[in-house]
Amino acid sequence: MKTFLLFVLFMLIALVVIVLAVVLGDSGAWYFAWLVGTGMIVLVTAAGGAMLDAQDEHAAMEADAGARTRRA
Amino acid sequence: MHDITVVDLSRWQFATTALYHFLFVPLTLGLSFLLAAMETVYVTTGKQIYRDMAQFWGKLFLINFALGVATGLTMEFEFGTNWSFYSSFVGDIFGAPLAIEGLMAFFLEATFIGMMVFGWERLKRGQHLAVTYMVALGSNLSALWILVANSFMQTPEGASFNPVTMRMELGSLSQLIFSHDAQAKFVHTSIAGYVTGAIFVAGVSAWYLLRNRHVELARRSFRMAVLFGVLSTAGVITLGDALGFVGGQAQPTKLAAMEGLWKSESAPMPFNLVAFPSQKDQANHGQVQVPYALSLLVTHSMDGTVPGFDKLEQQAVERIRGGIPAVEALQTLSSKPGDVDALAQFRAHEKDLGFGFLVQRYSQDVSKATDAEISTAARDTIPQVAPIFWSFRVMVAMGLAMLAFFVLAVIFSLRNDVVRHRWFLKIAVWMIPVPFLACEMGWLVAELGRQPWTVYELLPTWMSASTHSVGYMIFSLVGFVGLYTVFIIAEMYLMLRAIRTGPERPDDGDRDSDSLLNDSVNGGRLAGAEG
Repeated sequence: MKTFLLFVLFMLIALVVIVLAVVLGDSGAWYFAWLVGTGMIVLVTAAGGAMLDAQDEHAAMEADAGARTRRA
Repeated sequence: MHDITVVDLSRWQFATTALYHFLFVPLTLGLSFLLAAMETVYVTTGKQIYRDMAQFWGKLFLINFALGVATGLTMEFEFGTNWSFYSSFVGDIFGAPLAIEGLMAFFLEATFIGMMVFGWERLKRGQHLAVTYMVALGSNLSALWILVANSFMQTPEGASFNPVTMRMELGSLSQLIFSHDAQAKFVHTSIAGYVTGAIFVAGVSAWYLLRNRHVELARRSFRMAVLFGVLSTAGVITLGDALGFVGGQAQPTKLAAMEGLWKSESAPMPFNLVAFPSQKDQANHGQVQVPYALSLLVTHSMDGTVPGFDKLEQQAVERIRGGIPAVEALQTLSSKPGDVDALAQFRAHEKDLGFGFLVQRYSQDVSKATDAEISTAARDTIPQVAPIFWSFRVMVAMGLAMLAFFVLAVIFSLRNDVVRHRWFLKIAVWMIPVPFLACEMGWLVAELGRQPWTVYELLPTWMSASTHSVGYMIFSLVGFVGLYTVFIIAEMYLMLRAIRTGPERPDDGDRDSDSLLNDSVNGGRLAGAEG
């Protein structure tokens, strides 16, 4: 049921986005571009932060593995 | 008859207050979405450091927001006090977006900002994140309505003049909101705010990294800010081009001033990279040109041309002659509203009404305007070229410099070795004022380029001001400059104090720069191995 509701929600969002794109497209679609672009910028920014954590964890694992090899 | 000194002082006052106000606005626009991105990572990963980041940068956001509101309030009142004829003439159109902006700013933003600041312990994570997004959306939508109003002044669409009521009336709200100029201007300005927020966060983070303080917070803030910044800078440049393309067609005199185009040329037109425009000689001195580039830049084709001031001035003479019967008809209609002949005469010439008003500055009885007076009025349609020409170039140069900065910053940050490049961190700190200056330059281009009109080709600036005394205007101008300077000093003091103090949590778990250097070396090895 939850999956279905999410599906309906995303379909509605997609519908709104398509209608907006069609309506705004006639008069230059910069507002629409702003909506999509801002969303993308925020998501890429957030992903960049998460990626830094992953890089740190990776580096720590490498350093740990190197130390074990030297001890062996 | 208006005293031109009062008109000039009214312009100075509005320009001063607007430029002061816009020192605060872009940071609010950009920092709000950066806060949302930081909090998004906090909600998705659950890591405390991202909450600390959102709270710390949120504190700086709040200081900036409070002073931005304080400086913005007075500007709305200035329309009534200093620009009363303008307000009466276009108030029916201009008032609608300003009223919506007031509702957006004070209801949406203020409510959600309160929840954002005080809701950390009272709201669930997801709810607080939604509130932060609403703050970001509200801030940017407030800017939208102001820019829609400003766009009407640049390219008056969706409205027409009613000769019975003697006022402009709104014909189509959607045409007003969705005009090409409004769209391009809003997105350009909003994203310029993103760039400002990104440079601010990157610069302050670099300052912490240089001092080995709050290193974990600063590294993450730097990474997120530069990614946010590089995408935004690409966007702001794209939209700058779009705005130039759209605005250039709608406002040919502004475009000619931006490019120092005194004489019309055949395609493909050269671009004046450097020049020293002389208003007196109607020519450029010491110009350095790039062949073919202007046609490509402003018309997006190699065979496109745009008119120079020689052609535009001649067109203005013709339009002034066409506008004189419209003004005469209005004078008749003001005493005999039902005069059918006068109404027909007005309808035949209404597209040139604004040009008829231009010559009224030199000849109150426009029917007796001489050729010399018409020529002088036509010459008035050429704005002050040198400040527009150079403001535009400084803005573009700063935009390109910021793009170069962000690209390099992204490379260093993704390699995870930015702390090894102390020279770059120092540059990052010195970059902080650049986007603020670029924004101010952009506004100078937009507003000086619109002269001599308050509403382009419709209402001349000389008619728009209130009839105050010179003494009153000087007194209020000095008062505003003094008060706003105090605001700027207060902002700088509060910001610097908050930055020096740093996040509320101590540097728990922060690593020193030696371990970071080791990490960066390891990271480099890893990257090499993966490559």
